[in-house]
Amino acid sequence: MKNLIEIKDATKSFHKNKETITPLDKLSLDVGRGEFLSLMGPSGSGKTTLLNLIAGIDSPTSGEILINGNDIAKLSRSQLTRWRAQHVGYIFQLYHLVPILSAYENVELPLLLGKWTKAERKAKVMAALDLVKLSDRAQHRPSELSGGQEQRVAIARAIVHDPELLVADEPTGDLDRESADSILRLLGDLAEKHGKTIVMVTHDPKASAAAHRALQLEKGKLVGEGHLLSH
Amino acid sequence: MLPFSYALRNLFRDPARLAQTVGGSALVVLLLVAAVALNQGMDRVLATSGSSKNVILMGKGSEESIERSEVHLEAEAAAATSIRGLDSQLGVSAISGEIFYQAPLETESGNVEQALFRGVLESALLVHSTVRVLEGRFPQSGEVMVGHLAHRKLGVDAEQTAIGKILKFEDASFTIVGIFEAPSTVLESEIWFDRNDLAAITQRDTLSSITLRMDSAEFDDVEIFTFQRNDLELSAIREDSYYEKLSIFYKPIKMMTWVTAALVAAGAVFGGLNTLYAAFAARVTEMATLQSIGFTRGALFVSLIQESLLATLTGTLVAFVTAYFLLDGLTIPFSVGTFSLTLTPMVIGVGLVAGFLLGTLGTLPPAFRCLAPALPSALRSH
Ligand SMILES: Nc1ncnc2c1ncn2[C@@H]1O[C@H](COP(=O)(O)OP(=O)(O)OP(=O)(O)O)[C@@H](O)[C@H]1O
Ligand SMILES: [Mg+2]
Repeated sequence: MKNLIEIKDATKSFHKNKETITPLDKLSLDVGRGEFLSLMGPSGSGKTTLLNLIAGIDSPTSGEILINGNDIAKLSRSQLTRWRAQHVGYIFQLYHLVPILSAYENVELPLLLGKWTKAERKAKVMAALDLVKLSDRAQHRPSELSGGQEQRVAIARAIVHDPELLVADEPTGDLDRESADSILRLLGDLAEKHGKTIVMVTHDPKASAAAHRALQLEKGKLVGEGHLLSH
Repeated sequence: MLPFSYALRNLFRDPARLAQTVGGSALVVLLLVAAVALNQGMDRVLATSGSSKNVILMGKGSEESIERSEVHLEAEAAAATSIRGLDSQLGVSAISGEIFYQAPLETESGNVEQALFRGVLESALLVHSTVRVLEGRFPQSGEVMVGHLAHRKLGVDAEQTAIGKILKFEDASFTIVGIFEAPSTVLESEIWFDRNDLAAITQRDTLSSITLRMDSAEFDDVEIFTFQRNDLELSAIREDSYYEKLSIFYKPIKMMTWVTAALVAAGAVFGGLNTLYAAFAARVTEMATLQSIGFTRGALFVSLIQESLLATLTGTLVAFVTAYFLLDGLTIPFSVGTFSLTLTPMVIGVGLVAGFLLGTLGTLPPAFRCLAPALPSALRSH
């Protein structure tokens, strides 16, 4: 199977006082393995909604979300929770690190859900921190790190259990240009060298340019395909 | 599962909140422990004051109040000769006609306080088997013997009721010549006079009651005597039933302690809940993030409960230590005597259950509210 993600006619709608809001309208999308896809679009166009469906944070009202051939739209809430623990890493705009835990402990969190020994966990955490070039900051609390460093810790946390899929919602939205560039290089490397499939939402054309492919969302529908880089 | 240390460290996230939760639960548990100990103490002293082997004869129609009861003097001798099977020692029947009286008494230090008087003859020691003279001797005319907790009832230091001290009542003075104990009974708070002294001072020519100690005799034998000698107008009641009835009389007071404890505790519980709500509400996004990583709501719930339990059980411990130093062994005077507070296993058990419930049931509402929001919206709120 070539594609990791195959979305077929995914619709997400909410009912609010007799009104129906449809952030995603019969959307179909394929994402290849190891592909780095960027999603752009105006505010409220449904980017986060789509990302949440791909990450198993939310379920569609109708349609299929096939990840690795497995329709996660059919999973229950608790099945989704277990699925996420193994298959996806989520990177947030505001990092969402746990403030009372050190960088090391934050990165270790996904591993606590698996059957690794303490030594195995340590090796994996240090490897992930090494990859984001923060092994020297392992014992630091989030409050002792810069925004860019926090986001790198968050990326280490997203990849430490080696999921095939990474989703990122405006991962550089809160960072200065320099930090943003280093995060984008890191994501690029994760796709190129480590074979991760990445779906990234961004407002920043420069960030989008770092991806292999860019798509535009408008009012819950994909409109036009952007550039194709290096493929 | 999140490691236990996560809960422990979350606890120290906000020291002010920690202090409030620990302090609040300590207050609730302490109040509860005090209320239970108070009720138990009162019940215990009333339950152990009466002996099942003793029967009290009182004036007909005044069974409710031993003070208002009047019994003809000759009833004592009549009972002694008519009732077979009474306990006896050295040929003396265990039968004690007594005058019971309550009046203000003045100590050497000048304190005047309501006191419990019992006018007795030496035969009183035959019926009140728990009484043991600790120091000194039985009083004769112009003398008194005091229970070792009488000073609590009088609200003075123990030295004011030491041997050799003078107690003033009406215009007469009495020297303390003896101190007695009568473990876990109301007698320990009384002041025992020579019966004739008390009769003279109170200008009585009757007794308040006659207490009999049975050996082979049955309650029915005593009751039959009251029927045979209905001219004496006596009514018989078992001593333990007498004190049981007294404890019913104290029900409203016990209710009051419960209501007061409950009101203050409710305030503390709601204050604590509010703090927990605020603390957990600030963690909605963090909880959602942990769920997005793959932690189940159940696992996060367990962690929140662990955190609260740590705080409330610490509070419970603080309450126990405080209770141990402030309450345990404390003697509290009430109208018919003095009872003591004891941290019995039952009291400790109630405190532990309360601390546990505070940490579990008390955590349910804030924890639910923290974990309830749908993931997408919880992740958005920051
Ligand atoms: N729980 C909800 N109930 C009702 N409407 C919702 C809910 N969640 C999202 N929406 C609506 O869906 C639409 C798309 O929201 P979404 O968050 O996906 O937009 P977005 O493209 O990520 O925007 P932004 O760039 O501002 O993050 C919005 O109009 C939003 O109001
Ligand atoms: Mg968004």
